[in-house]
Amino acid sequence: MIDIRNVSKSYNKGQIKAVDDLTLTVRPGEIFGFLGPNGAGKTTTIKLIVGLLKPDAGTIAVAGWDTQSEPLRAKAVTTYVPDTPAIYERLTGLEYLNFIGDVYGVPKKARLERIEKWLDIFELASAVSSPIQSYSHGMKQKIVLIAALLPGPKVMVLDEPMVGLDARAAHHMKEMMREHCDAGGTLFFSTHIMEVAEKLCDRIGIIHKGRLIACGTMEELQTRNREEQSLESIFLELTDK
Amino acid sequence: MKKFLLLVRTGLRVNFSLSLLKPKYLFRNKKDLWMVPLIGLGLVGLIPVMFFYVRLVVRMYGWLSPLGQQAALLTFALLMGQFLVLVFGFYYVISAFYFSRDLEILVPLPLAPSQVLMSKFTVILVNEYLTVSPIVLPVLVTYGVLSRGGGVYWTRALLTYLLLPVIPLAVVSILVVGLMRLVNFGRKKDALILAGSLFLMTLAIGGQFMLNRSVGAVPDRAAAIRFLSAPDGLVQQIGSKFPPSIWASKALAWGPSGSGPLNALFSIGASLLLFAGLFLAARRFFYRGLIGLGEQTARRRTLSRDRLERGVGSGSRPVRAIFQRELRIMNRTPIFLLNGVLSVILIPILFVVMWNTGKRASDAAALMALVRSADATIAVIAAALFMTISGSLNGTSSSTFSREGGQFWMSKVIPVSPADQVRGKFLHSYAIAMLGIAASALVVLFVFHLNAAVVLASVALSMAASFVLTAVGMIIDLARPLLNWTNPQKAIKQNFNVLLAIFADFGVLFLLYLAVRLLGKLGWTGWRTPAALFVLLAALSAAVFKALKAFAARRYRDIEV
Repeated sequence: MIDIRNVSKSYNKGQIKAVDDLTLTVRPGEIFGFLGPNGAGKTTTIKLIVGLLKPDAGTIAVAGWDTQSEPLRAKAVTTYVPDTPAIYERLTGLEYLNFIGDVYGVPKKARLERIEKWLDIFELASAVSSPIQSYSHGMKQKIVLIAALLPGPKVMVLDEPMVGLDARAAHHMKEMMREHCDAGGTLFFSTHIMEVAEKLCDRIGIIHKGRLIACGTMEELQTRNREEQSLESIFLELTDK
Repeated sequence: MKKFLLLVRTGLRVNFSLSLLKPKYLFRNKKDLWMVPLIGLGLVGLIPVMFFYVRLVVRMYGWLSPLGQQAALLTFALLMGQFLVLVFGFYYVISAFYFSRDLEILVPLPLAPSQVLMSKFTVILVNEYLTVSPIVLPVLVTYGVLSRGGGVYWTRALLTYLLLPVIPLAVVSILVVGLMRLVNFGRKKDALILAGSLFLMTLAIGGQFMLNRSVGAVPDRAAAIRFLSAPDGLVQQIGSKFPPSIWASKALAWGPSGSGPLNALFSIGASLLLFAGLFLAARRFFYRGLIGLGEQTARRRTLSRDRLERGVGSGSRPVRAIFQRELRIMNRTPIFLLNGVLSVILIPILFVVMWNTGKRASDAAALMALVRSADATIAVIAAALFMTISGSLNGTSSSTFSREGGQFWMSKVIPVSPADQVRGKFLHSYAIAMLGIAASALVVLFVFHLNAAVVLASVALSMAASFVLTAVGMIIDLARPLLNWTNPQKAIKQNFNVLLAIFADFGVLFLLYLAVRLLGKLGWTGWRTPAALFVLLAALSAAVFKALKAFAARRYRDIEV
């Protein structure tokens, strides 16, 4: 569903190589966790997938659509949640959701059903008619999540989605992620929380200095290293170079 | 003191992006090099403006010096400069003191409130020198040269220039600090900015009204003799509403003896006193006024199923969605609203005030009588120019991408083609231009009494011209959008793209002027010239809009966030 082939991206005229010849495939129905130390290239990879950055080399395809040559088709099946919820603060929550519904072409019935459902789950029903600038950080994160769920996308790309969420919302978020993938969707997300990645992900990739240094299921990662090791120990061992 | 200077240095670096002005950053992005000739063109365009300004000052000096009233020139320039500081200072002060995001970093640091506030005051002061320089410096220098001012004059001129913004800025600052302490506007900052701006606009229009009245009033013979026989008659008349401008001009014009030194002392004394007042206000009130700031409250009310159903839209309508987003964000952000929507109706209103008051009214009436009696070509083109300037010479189209700021990532990820996004944005900017055209058309029709056919033709012409100017403004902003602002003022009021677009707009209007002259030489008269201009503008509109869409397709791909 997400096919990344030999992608590289550098900054400062090639002085800083953020992503270095990355090749990675995420299958349909899979929750893929993307781990790495600060500055390893996680956010850059995510921004490359959703089209916020242009790769220097390589190709990325989402649901078979090349993100450079067929960007609109790729975007139509993808939604994205950034690490900081910088959204239109002057709109109300409902206006923002309607904007997303309008640009993704979500029919009224589906729009209403999904908005009602997710507002209820994330306990945002009482705030949806207020301007977003009156929301707390966590509430903004929730409205961005609801907006990402609204189009019923095939692929969701999330950058540190748990940051700012309270325990209940984080729990619902994890349930939503599983539900999305059980229904055939694909989810690619970055996180620093090892426990979440260990329990939730079907497969995990670890990136370090722009290169993918490990990728596989939890069992595969454990086999490749020493048996019975926690993800945290594997992560620390692999990135301590 | 060391901490204060450090804060000022950091503030100046942030304010002017000094760290990015190093050649290695400036010329790293070769795509920005297209701006160099444009800036050059702008500077070349400024030379004749300055030339005419200085010539005007020289001529007025020639008129006033036989009457012994030449010091009025200084008073006028200083008053204008201080008035500008007062108007712009309000925006700068309120956003820098209370709503800039660096406060979240500064307040928890071991710094005194006075150090934080005075450093911000100093940074604004530097900004204000840049604002007043084009108006004040030519007058100070020309006056000095013409009056053969010696060392004393030049020393005092320098001192006057340095002190000029201090008094009005300190007055605004003390008022704002006091107001923020007394009334907790923290959660209603939008209301404060809007109310303050409307107040200042009313003040500006009222000032214009008063000035016209006082200049236009014809004094009786005895009063005129009394007025002219006093060496400071005109100085007193102009500066009577704001005495600091009288002190400063007397300090400059009345030489080393007499009332010169005394007025210089008044000027310095008032500045020091207000500075001290601000220092005390900062110590006592600044942080107290900051409490609760940045918090936004809203009444939480769960929507009923019915209301939710009514509020939820349907289907795919990307262009309309983009248009609505632009409209809502602009109308709900006071700085954007004031510089976009309100500015397009301000020009027609100012014309109405000028038309109805004082001496200039007779000038304007004479001009309009000339326009009415001239052939249709001149009447239509003059009215269309007025409507185009009212509708399009503002920052709406030339900040349309910059205004998105940190939220531009959404425009990059949504499945809407750049062409459709540009259509939605264009519709919004054009709608605001239409508002300006409509307002000025009403003025032309009901105040200047031009006939309906002329007004209709000029509306059509100005609509076509505004189409071109809106698209040009959008192309300029798309070429180098300012997306990393933290204060909305930077996106529209302090955005260099807005200035570049105004230069470009004048360029387009100049080309149209050449076209009209060419048609005149070819012997075209009557309605044929406006009709030909309309066809030319319609063709130009189609070409520029096509170029805008093609440019957008490339830029949306290239801009990385």
